[in-house]
Amino acid sequence: MNTFVQILVSGLTLGAMYAISTIGLSLAWGAVGVLNMAQGAFLVVGGYAAYAGAVFLGMSAPLALALAALAGAAVGAGTYFFVVRFMLESATFETNVIIATVGLALIFENVVLQTFGAYPLRQPIRIEGGVNIAATYIPYESIGILVMSIVAMIAVGWVLERTRMGRAIRAVSQNRAAALLMGVPVKVVYLQVLTIAGVLAALSGVMLSTITTLAPTMGYDPMLKAFIVCVVAGLGNIYGALYAAFALGIFEAAVQFFLGVRFGFPAMLLLIILTLVWRPYGVFGRGSTQRF
Amino acid sequence: MTMDAPALLEIRGLVAGYRDHEVLRGVSLTLAKGKLATLIGPNGHGKTTLLRCVSGLLRLTAGDIRFGGTSIVGRRVNNIVAQGIVHVPQGDLLFSAMSVADNLMMGAYLPAANAVASRRLEEVYGLLPALWERRLQTANTLSGGERRMLAIGRGLMSGGELLMFDEPSLGLAPLAIDQVYSVIANLKARGRTILLVEENANRIVDIADLVYLLDDGRIVWEGAPHALFDHQDLLETYLGS
Repeated sequence: MNTFVQILVSGLTLGAMYAISTIGLSLAWGAVGVLNMAQGAFLVVGGYAAYAGAVFLGMSAPLALALAALAGAAVGAGTYFFVVRFMLESATFETNVIIATVGLALIFENVVLQTFGAYPLRQPIRIEGGVNIAATYIPYESIGILVMSIVAMIAVGWVLERTRMGRAIRAVSQNRAAALLMGVPVKVVYLQVLTIAGVLAALSGVMLSTITTLAPTMGYDPMLKAFIVCVVAGLGNIYGALYAAFALGIFEAAVQFFLGVRFGFPAMLLLIILTLVWRPYGVFGRGSTQRF
Repeated sequence: MTMDAPALLEIRGLVAGYRDHEVLRGVSLTLAKGKLATLIGPNGHGKTTLLRCVSGLLRLTAGDIRFGGTSIVGRRVNNIVAQGIVHVPQGDLLFSAMSVADNLMMGAYLPAANAVASRRLEEVYGLLPALWERRLQTANTLSGGERRMLAIGRGLMSGGELLMFDEPSLGLAPLAIDQVYSVIANLKARGRTILLVEENANRIVDIADLVYLLDDGRIVWEGAPHALFDHQDLLETYLGS
């Protein structure tokens, strides 16, 4: 029982973080065909923005979190204005964006490295302490991450399902030509989606840094995991990505507990290979891929 | 003041195509307010391309398109939709994972239409009651005829003055085609201006005011629909009937 609760808590915490950064990745790919390789760098920007807010500006935790979200929105929007916008007319748009965002990630990483140094930093905004439930110690941090992720997911779900902007984003993702015919300014949708992805990645970065440390390279591992979740779920399928994120988080926690921490990642890679053999379009994939 | 209805859509010397392949080679066409013009002709000779030019999806190489007296050449699609031009595309292009109601709401995406969306929704449901019954279903669960009705209803949601239908009978069963054409006749009776692409000349003889026969990127004949049937040679050459 004890073991089970521990694995569940740690798995749900991991899953919640994967889910948040995966939604951004999946949304950008599914809606506008942007495979954002700078997603990991967005996480880094978020984590360090919260750090800077708390340490240099003396902000409280909620304010520092808001600053991180704002920084995420800025890098997301910036990615549109300074990079993606110039590639829209290109016939090889998707490949161009992949290469350009790899470059962008390197720039962000090195700016952070130059500004804050390579030394891992401790994220000052965190929730200390914990509670014993069923003889298992559960850190408040885990509960905080879970609650924050769920709130963020509900917010994104609400925007996508209930607002005019969200309806337009779904429309572009389902049928771009038709969305254009309805008068949707498709370029604005690119900007909106990248901004949302930036905010989600930044929040995910803050959460991640509270349970590990801040480092300029901290974005790579979660981005890779987000890719794995996306592939397992079927790239572009947001709701599938949610289930897959939590399932993989729990799977990873279980493998780490029973086989050891170093087997967590190889086991996930094995799972992705098996998934692709079994269902090349992902577990929740629709059985066909759409090329723009 | 003349007694003629003013031209709502006026196309002059339209040249357009894809990359190095010219599809339209100088098309001119006039459509008066409240009238229904049909564009007929063999497949692959530019009918869809012409609609794509009017709705701004395709840039023209030369020529002019005037809507309500103003040139709309070079404008963006959203601007053209806002002017009052509706393009109901071939093959429906629905948002297949969205509900019928959400599909219709997408038709009223632009601010002016969005402001009166609930009233328009009532009108569309009144005109196409099958959609009301299916309003909560996702579009991909509809039958072919219902999908076509949804595509038409979605177009009507923007409140456009000029309706362009690209082969609204394509791939439908005869009964569903009858329904689609009765809706189009109804829209005409309500004073809408309609540009209709159709392959089957028999379908449009009762409903059209004017027929344009498009072949190889040019208008080769224009006139009243019944006059077309006096030209057995045209029918045989271009429409194989």
